[in-house]
Amino acid sequence: MRLRRLLGLIGHNLRASWVRTALAMVGIVVGTGLLTFFVGLGQGLREKVLEKIFPVNQLEIEARTVQLFGVEQVVGQEPLDDARVAQVAKLPGVVAAFGKQKSAFPARLWGGKELLGYNLFTEAFFDGIPAATVRSELETFEDVASKKRHSARAKPARCEVDLDCRSGQGCRDGACEPIIWADRFVEMPDIALPCSQVSLCPNGLTCVDGFCQGAEALPRCLLPNPPGNGRDLQFDGEVGVLAKPCPSGLCPVEGTTCPSGTYCASDDPDSRSGHCEVPLPAVINPLLLEVFNSDMARSLGAAPIGSLAVLFGVRIHVILGDSYFSKDAARSRQQIKQAQIIGFSRKAPELGVALPLSVVRHFNAHFKDAQTAQVYDAILLDTASNEAVPTVIVAAERLGLQLSRKSRAARTFGTVVMVTSLALILLAALVLAVAAIQIAQTFAMLVHERRREIAVLRAIGAARADVAVLVLGEAAAIGVLGGLCGSGLAFAAAELVDRLAARFLVDVPLVPHGFFSFPVWALPVAVLVAVACTVLGALGPARRAMGLDPAAVLAQS
Amino acid sequence: MSGRPLAIDARQLVRTFAVEGRQIRALDGVDLQVQRGEFVAVVGRSGAGKSTLLNLIGALDRGYTGHLQVLGQSLRELPDRALSQFRNQQIGFVFQAFNLLPGLSVGDNVMLPASFGAKLSPAEVQRRAENLLQELGLGDRFRQLPSQMSGGERQRVAIARALLLEPPLLVCDEPTGSLDGQTTKQILGILNDSRERHGTALVIVTHDPAVAATADRTVVLDRGRILREETGAPVVTATAGGAA
Repeated sequence: MRLRRLLGLIGHNLRASWVRTALAMVGIVVGTGLLTFFVGLGQGLREKVLEKIFPVNQLEIEARTVQLFGVEQVVGQEPLDDARVAQVAKLPGVVAAFGKQKSAFPARLWGGKELLGYNLFTEAFFDGIPAATVRSELETFEDVASKKRHSARAKPARCEVDLDCRSGQGCRDGACEPIIWADRFVEMPDIALPCSQVSLCPNGLTCVDGFCQGAEALPRCLLPNPPGNGRDLQFDGEVGVLAKPCPSGLCPVEGTTCPSGTYCASDDPDSRSGHCEVPLPAVINPLLLEVFNSDMARSLGAAPIGSLAVLFGVRIHVILGDSYFSKDAARSRQQIKQAQIIGFSRKAPELGVALPLSVVRHFNAHFKDAQTAQVYDAILLDTASNEAVPTVIVAAERLGLQLSRKSRAARTFGTVVMVTSLALILLAALVLAVAAIQIAQTFAMLVHERRREIAVLRAIGAARADVAVLVLGEAAAIGVLGGLCGSGLAFAAAELVDRLAARFLVDVPLVPHGFFSFPVWALPVAVLVAVACTVLGALGPARRAMGLDPAAVLAQS
Repeated sequence: MSGRPLAIDARQLVRTFAVEGRQIRALDGVDLQVQRGEFVAVVGRSGAGKSTLLNLIGALDRGYTGHLQVLGQSLRELPDRALSQFRNQQIGFVFQAFNLLPGLSVGDNVMLPASFGAKLSPAEVQRRAENLLQELGLGDRFRQLPSQMSGGERQRVAIARALLLEPPLLVCDEPTGSLDGQTTKQILGILNDSRERHGTALVIVTHDPAVAATADRTVVLDRGRILREETGAPVVTATAGGAA
């Protein structure tokens, strides 16, 4: 049968019995609507909630522990050191593995006046992570590619200092260029690392006058006053004057300041002398902003922070070795430094700051001992795919390792989402099965009513197969219409739910911007499933239509 | 008409139906030859086997025994697709109840046979349909629905549909059964005109003596058998029951 004619006849039949067709379509609309809705919800929860907290193909493993009298105790003797990381990196399915070291020293920080109007004071926790492992994530959050594209198109303005350039740009070699914050997260930033023994300095540096120095020493500087407890420090008061050795120790070079982008970090809380150094490059977890906005901002009487973008470049003061809660390190060992938020990564702790691994390592050695600096707290690893995750977990367990609590929670949540999604999709399948039965009944009636028309078509040349194609084509058309309507309703319902959530769940932390994510295949698959149901339902009636004896039917009239 | 090839060649044609466990012979050894271009009227009482015979020669029913060739083709062994193609291109049907599809326009109804395997371009099909309707006096009704037409007009549409693919055999089951005398004459004129122009063999089942009178030959069926054949003249009084 010619396609155009077939479509014409299908259209004619649909029009002729549109009420019955519409009623038959209800089940399909509801079924495909539910299917699309639940697929979008499941995918959305995975992508926007689970992936947001912990990427599915990224695992955090740690030494195996057991609960002993309510306290977790590490089992096994082998430390999580570089050798262990290398061992894990070779596991099948692992693309990359790297150690994560938590700060083993007390610290506190304060800052935020630029944003909030006053400073927030809090205990500080640091995770040391290798700079290379977060590079791409930092670039993504910062949208470095877009910055570079814009920069390539625009003619660079001439400048002498950063202030000559517009916001978001810095002066480099006499020309304004966009600031790429991600570039600042490097393993060995230009900061003064205190040392007491040569062995404490990272490779390539030697311990001179209590500080690790390389071939090019950091410029010395003098502050107007020793920082003391640091509470009253102002960023613009830490610019510092360049200093040079003199008989009394260090003498200021009048009319100079620390180079652009650096500040004068005092050698200890009671010293005016220091080094011109860059702020510690700090990376925070994007969830921190949500936690602040949803939980903390109201209780602190602060306005929520609009977006991550405003946090780029925000500086904070940090005292390493000092604590609100625990025993402080000896005052002479304490360090007052600036840190600057240079980006965001999900590898950063949710309530804390990620610093380059070498920095945390060094200060762990400085405040604790060299041994502590050699051992990681956890190993973060990327798997080749989501499917490789179970294999990697089993292999890691054989090495005496286990998933961290965070990873376990993520996997449990993932499983719950998957099982719930499957259950809901099953429900949709059930509705579709009922719809298919409804279609079967409707088409049985339609075929009975149209048997005369079918007989006429057979008389003028329609083969049995043509009759079947006509019936099934009509069913398929109902499937396509039902699938499109159902999916359309699902998209609309998802949009409604997202809008309601955005309106009423503002204060709930970690609520994503939309619960739904519809994969590109959602619509075609919904339509295909709908067509499959209607065609399946119409198979029986189509067979009956094929089997009609035209002579007998025409004789009845 | 002698010497022309046979459109229908039936010999000892038997058709049996099972009714409530009993075998009923609707046709019981029918011998019938119809030449191309010949007009044969089949008359007989109700249940005489007229429609059964029509269904067999119209290739709608193949459950017969005996010999049957339609347009030189034995139909019994043809697969469904080939048989449907045969019906489509070799046989035109006209029914008493017109059997037009109510949701399709007049033009679409006429063009319907071209949907099933005819190798004509859509433009050619449309041209033919328009010409046919023009010839049948319905040139301005192409887009109307059948429900907006009289019985005679609908039957003309049905005839146009049957003639669209210019079949060599036209099978008509009481084509004028529900029409008045004037319209009957008109319809018969159209059918005869087509027969003369295209050499179409015309087999009409009818109860109407006036229709039978216009045929080249009249075949009288009774209880599944041919009671007799007459040429040209009506056979109103010929059958036992006089039902024809």
